[in-house]
Amino acid sequence: MTANSDTRAGEAAAERQDAGRREVLRYALRRFGVYLFTLWAAITVAFFIFRLVPGDPMNILLGNLTRAEGRQRDAAAEEAIIARYRHIFGMDEPLPLQYVNYLRKAVLGGLDLGPSFVEYPAQTKDLVFRRMPWTLGIFTTSVLLAWIVGTGLGALIGWLQRSRLSQIAVVISTLLQITPVYLVALGLIIYVGYTWRILPAGGPYARHLQPEWSWEFISSLLTHAILPMLSNMIVIGAGFTLGMRALMISVLGEDYLTFARAKGLSPFTVLKDYAFRNALIPQVTALAIIVGATLNGTFIIEVLFQLPGLGTLFVQAMGLRDFNTMQAVVLFSIFAVLTLTLIVDLALPLLDPRVRRTA
Amino acid sequence: MRNLSIIIGSIMLALIVIVALAGPSVVSQLLFPGERPAMRGSYRPYQLDSAEHPIGTDGDGRDGLMVFISSIGPSLQIGLIAGATSTSLGVVIGFLAGYARGRLDTLSRILIDMVLVIPTLPLLLMLAAYIERWDLYKLSLILGIFGWSFVARVIRPQVQSLRERSYVDLAVLSGENAWEIIFLELLPPLLPYIGYVFSLSIVGSMLAEAGLQIIGLGAGGLPTLGFMIAKGFRESVIAIGLLGQMLLPAGALIYVFLALNLINTGLDEVFNPRLKTTIEGGD
Repeated sequence: MTANSDTRAGEAAAERQDAGRREVLRYALRRFGVYLFTLWAAITVAFFIFRLVPGDPMNILLGNLTRAEGRQRDAAAEEAIIARYRHIFGMDEPLPLQYVNYLRKAVLGGLDLGPSFVEYPAQTKDLVFRRMPWTLGIFTTSVLLAWIVGTGLGALIGWLQRSRLSQIAVVISTLLQITPVYLVALGLIIYVGYTWRILPAGGPYARHLQPEWSWEFISSLLTHAILPMLSNMIVIGAGFTLGMRALMISVLGEDYLTFARAKGLSPFTVLKDYAFRNALIPQVTALAIIVGATLNGTFIIEVLFQLPGLGTLFVQAMGLRDFNTMQAVVLFSIFAVLTLTLIVDLALPLLDPRVRRTA
Repeated sequence: MRNLSIIIGSIMLALIVIVALAGPSVVSQLLFPGERPAMRGSYRPYQLDSAEHPIGTDGDGRDGLMVFISSIGPSLQIGLIAGATSTSLGVVIGFLAGYARGRLDTLSRILIDMVLVIPTLPLLLMLAAYIERWDLYKLSLILGIFGWSFVARVIRPQVQSLRERSYVDLAVLSGENAWEIIFLELLPPLLPYIGYVFSLSIVGSMLAEAGLQIIGLGAGGLPTLGFMIAKGFRESVIAIGLLGQMLLPAGALIYVFLALNLINTGLDEVFNPRLKTTIEGGD
């Protein structure tokens, strides 16, 4: 790559830096290409899964509606209604054409994912955008906090591996890590929310308030957010703690650490610059891996805490058999997960020079 | 004792399997001779704990303990079937991906990564909307089909690293074909690791199943631990004072996860002896 870089020492250094930068750029571009491809493929898979499963959404939807109204079923009229609606929603076209239309609208039409079946003519895109801040807010804040707390705690426990305190911490985090997030959430709702009444355990903010920039509203919002975030944080944080501890311990076994100590560096320097930094890189990768699973948990948490996020939107749409809305939620959550993973992956070369070279 | 955690975990698991198998008939014979404790409307609903009903009765007028004991089996069954499905799918795909080279390898890696990041819960929920009648096998199979990517993701690099070892080169030189290499050279050393992944998959499937139930859209009526928890939450049994109907199923789930986790830790040590020496050898 650097063909004539060894002419003079100064130039060589500059060029090496240059080559390094080019490598990072290439890594980023490649990663972005993979991202776009994955996004396209995921959208395609999601589209076809829901078109190929047995059961026509229109039949299910309208069948449910007529059944719910308890009318005498008039087969011919029902057929006509279904045909009409299928036409409105573009579902009377052949599948490949539907797919092309879908992609075209989604990409060129500014994320146009079609209208909601139930709240027609409201766009599913708008429904999703209205709910998205709740989900992303709870999700990113709790994951980041859990990561910071877990990494710090794990590093400490790993460093103090023989002490009684760290053994107790390991047992507690193992127990917390294997507890499903929704059980933690249920426990918090039942005990903190209802039995002890310390914190509100349902709804986005107090019922008598309206969204506005006032201290009262914001503080209500924040206190309502504590328990949902805490449920996420406890479980994910425990996982990060254990992960970081294991990484720390394996780094501590390396020879270069013994050498660093033998050089007479202070224990804190060894911890900070030698052990922690090296254990941190896989820990960041772990962050990227858990994003998808955590989003699943966040959906359940929203439903349990009655927060108006994407999970709740999905469950409502599901109850009404609003397939377009459901599909939009699925696509947006795929998009969110892929994008968050991309961000973590792109941040990785900043931490780990090896990724730059091997990319 | 080299592998205490596998032994403790297996004993714990064996105990709950015994409870799941023998529990329902034992409890109904011992506590309710001549009655039908698991039938709706057998008793007055929401009775508090008593000598006759140790954890009270549920909203359908069944004995709580009986409901709890008979929920364990289906939960374990779902975990087992779904875990086996996703593990076998993932192992096959992971082996193919790990054994292949060049373009096929890149493609399979992208495919695995892609499926891995797709949030499965909405997909599962959406499928649930289409399927009118759930049964245990349908649910388990679907959970399993959604779980393979994780298995493939962790198996692939293991296969890749093994196939570069010199003993595999030797096998190639001595004329073994690809299948012989996969089944005779690569698979056996990976078995503990596959067991480890299998146990993780069981946990994942049971987690997903209970999550689906709790969100309220799961296999309506499948009598699992998750369903009991969800029902208890909806009927606010804690407020009524029927603590056991919530804590027992939750505790049973955590107990199973703990047992599997212990087995996992042990299997991980078997597969990865360095882990143990570094932990014990310390600094």
